[in-house]
Amino acid sequence: MFEQQLFNGLTLGLIYALIAVGYTMVYGVIELINFAHGEIYMLGAFLCITFIQALGIPLFPAIALSMACCAAIGVFIDRIAYKPLRKAPRLAALITAIGVSIFLQNIAMIIWGSRPVPFVRAAVPKVFGETVFTLGSVNVSGLQLFIYAVTTAMMVGLTLIINKTKVGTAMRALAQNPVSAALMGINVDRVISFTFALGSSLGAVAGILVGMYYNTISATMGYNAGVKAFAAAVLGGIGSVPGAMLGGVVLGVAETLGAGYVSSQYRDGLGYAVMIAVILLRPSGLLGKSVGQKA
Amino acid sequence: MSKNSTAFKILGLALLLAFPFLPVISSEYVVHVAVLVMVYAVLAMGLNVLPGFCDLLDLGYVGFYGIGAYTAGILSLNHGVSFWVIVPGAVALGALCGVLRGAPTLRLSGDYFAIVTFGFTELVVLFLTNEIWLTRGPLGLPGIPPVAVSLEWLGIDWRYDFLSEVPYYYLALFMMAVVYVAMCRIEDSRLGRAWLAIKEDPLAAASCGVNLMTFKTVAFAFSAGVGAAAGCFMAQWSMFLAPDVFKFWESFLVLCMIVLGGLGNINGAIVGSVVLIALGEVLRVVLPNFGLPAETRFLAYGLIMILIMRFKPGGLFPTIAATSKKSRLILELKARLQAERTG
Repeated sequence: MFEQQLFNGLTLGLIYALIAVGYTMVYGVIELINFAHGEIYMLGAFLCITFIQALGIPLFPAIALSMACCAAIGVFIDRIAYKPLRKAPRLAALITAIGVSIFLQNIAMIIWGSRPVPFVRAAVPKVFGETVFTLGSVNVSGLQLFIYAVTTAMMVGLTLIINKTKVGTAMRALAQNPVSAALMGINVDRVISFTFALGSSLGAVAGILVGMYYNTISATMGYNAGVKAFAAAVLGGIGSVPGAMLGGVVLGVAETLGAGYVSSQYRDGLGYAVMIAVILLRPSGLLGKSVGQKA
Repeated sequence: MSKNSTAFKILGLALLLAFPFLPVISSEYVVHVAVLVMVYAVLAMGLNVLPGFCDLLDLGYVGFYGIGAYTAGILSLNHGVSFWVIVPGAVALGALCGVLRGAPTLRLSGDYFAIVTFGFTELVVLFLTNEIWLTRGPLGLPGIPPVAVSLEWLGIDWRYDFLSEVPYYYLALFMMAVVYVAMCRIEDSRLGRAWLAIKEDPLAAASCGVNLMTFKTVAFAFSAGVGAAAGCFMAQWSMFLAPDVFKFWESFLVLCMIVLGGLGNINGAIVGSVVLIALGEVLRVVLPNFGLPAETRFLAYGLIMILIMRFKPGGLFPTIAATSKKSRLILELKARLQAERTG
């Protein structure tokens, strides 16, 4: 029972982590809480089923196409809405992000309607639905295994990009100090665009996985996922990519265990309670750097 | 006091003088919208204390609004307590919750403070949704009695129930005026200057003898109390409460009002609430003419917010502090603080 809950929590947590990474990367480079990130996640899921249904594209190419579209949308949003506000007060950019979030959510409602839509069952390979493995006392569905594999691969890939590639080094430099990074010849705008593209495409994957897992998507799903991811990012230490991964997993496990053992009604609340407790004990998050806080 | 803000005070006073006559010259609908605007104006002024005066980004303000509203709803519906008794009680309860939420977060700043306040609202909404024995959960509280003025406690048989929008209009006007005057007085007092000093530079403020703990705690209590008062009014005005009213989105809306108006600017907070509420109403009427459902007004809403921030990043009436750190006002304040400490 406990192992099963733990496993389910890990599955959920890995998806949170995937969204939280997008939040934290954007925060790392431009110090913006990108509230529209949850909407990117929602768009990812809707675009994917649209590609499958309207254009008859098979699942995996549809996922790739949806990732590409979301990456483009992320970069576009940054160019249109956030870039002009780089030097403005931070709250102006935050309000703009909220504006973008409302805008995207309503666009989605106009295009796809405001009711929840089932994920296209037919496009999901049968293996995912029917296969159940038993590992000790834990039942693992094929879909959960797929989610595990995809999210882990994405995390590993992301870690490699950040730590081993030139653009990853540039991202880290920018997060450390934008001015010195620019002086070192880094094209700041290009790196920011890359960050948005990377984060948005991971968000899209998370949206599709959640759509497959719960078999339902809706125009308002971005709100909840967005705030969960925000909480996960802060929990892990905002700006820290490994922190966001850890934060997502901790939040997912805390929620699932809490729902199973404490109270299912307070499921969301338990996640926040854990988060608040961690922040109060470690004011800069689990893996956050202590940022020379003022008094 | 800058020339700009004096002009605003005169304009505000003129509007305030014209306002009492609104119900005489306009329809019930306009009066209703005006009351809504005033409720939000009170909320905006109350929220303004934290992000505007102390630079603490509060994303959970609507939680206090909910606490005030449910206190009023439950007490008046189930126990027949009069509105006039509830208000001070709810304000005290709100302030207490504000301090309880604020105390552990005193060390936190920036986004960490924001997320804790956010978590707080989610917990309040969960509590209101799940504690069915107290709040009837998602069913909400219908049939909350209206505000009444009576002299029965003096043994005189006279009673007036607030059954139309008009008495609520005057009550809201009174509430807004009280909060407005209080805010203006505080802004210009030792307390307001201490808050502004904390906003500009907590470290420098602390080294000038501003006790961060005390002044932040007062800010938490004050802001939360105002929110609870607005909640009391709303409960008895709308006569119906449901947990959904107090979701995160409302906090955002109020935050947008003060940022649109100009963070830290009291008049700006009122203007922001007028703009956003009026805009919502106008769009509700205009959009169907273009064949769009009324719900799409949020689309336009989002777009307009993006555009205003794009072209006026400091809000419609930016405070001097927001535009330049080394501004005259700040230097003047620092000098005044210094003088107060030494003399």
